[in-house]
Amino acid sequence: MQNDSLRPSDADIVRQILDGNVNAFESLVTRYEALVLRIVKKRVPPKDVEETVQNALVRAYRSLPTFKGKSPFSQWLASIAMRACYDYWRRAYRSREVPMCELTEKHREWLDAVMSEESVQAVDEAGSQKEARELLDYALATLSAQDRMVLELVYLEGLSVKEAADLLGWSTANVKVRSFRTRKKLEKLLRDIMQEGRKTP
Amino acid sequence: MRSRISENEALKKAFQHAYLAKESAVRGETWRSQIMRRVRKIGPLESSAGFWPAFEHLVWSLVPVICLLIVALTALLLSLDLDLGHDYLGTVTAELEKPTLSELFRFGS
Repeated sequence: MQNDSLRPSDADIVRQILDGNVNAFESLVTRYEALVLRIVKKRVPPKDVEETVQNALVRAYRSLPTFKGKSPFSQWLASIAMRACYDYWRRAYRSREVPMCELTEKHREWLDAVMSEESVQAVDEAGSQKEARELLDYALATLSAQDRMVLELVYLEGLSVKEAADLLGWSTANVKVRSFRTRKKLEKLLRDIMQEGRKTP
Repeated sequence: MRSRISENEALKKAFQHAYLAKESAVRGETWRSQIMRRVRKIGPLESSAGFWPAFEHLVWSLVPVICLLIVALTALLLSLDLDLGHDYLGTVTAELEKPTLSELFRFGS
């Protein structure tokens, strides 16, 4: 059984790396790769997860001299991973590589069905996660990289405005305003989709 | 008033489920070694310990002492008798009113 008290602390490893022991970074990678992976895989398409995780960890390595140890290393690394995801989407939007699937009648029917359901449980039982995911991807693809990050953190993951602001390194006011605007955009988009479905015979 | 679609609890839940159940990415065996290869390519990091960070650290560590000094000096100033300054001014003025040596000599002659 591994004794946790014998394990060097994160701060010790960081100190070793800053003293020139590059290989010590591997123990931080082993310790926190699952955390970074968990953050990235939720936000980035599967084909680009690996590269984004690598970018996040390499960026963390470069930023190690700025780690002061005021917050836990995991929290510091999480915000770096989050920024790596944000950069991924910024690049994707700039090069117009955001995949946008076509919405079909099936998606509109699903949306209508969910809206008419009385209980949350009924939606769970429907098990139509594919439509939900595609509709969500469609909605996210219409947003900017910043709006996308805020919607994911606040609306989909249920984080508070302050938590989201800390992770993204933005001001609380910025996240609050963006969250409000993004919800309005999502609202308009969903309303348009529903109305379009009613117009078509 | 129109109800908000995005705030519909059932829809929100469905979106959250779909979002959190995103398929997991498969990690290759070379995954970690690729990261380390990139890190080794960057090489040892330059520690931020230079003159300015050290100076900043020193300033911050002195902040409590400076605050205490300010408080102590303020208390000392308030407790001092400010009339003392006034008295000193009075003495100087009185000294100025005394006749000078030449004036005394003129009166004497």
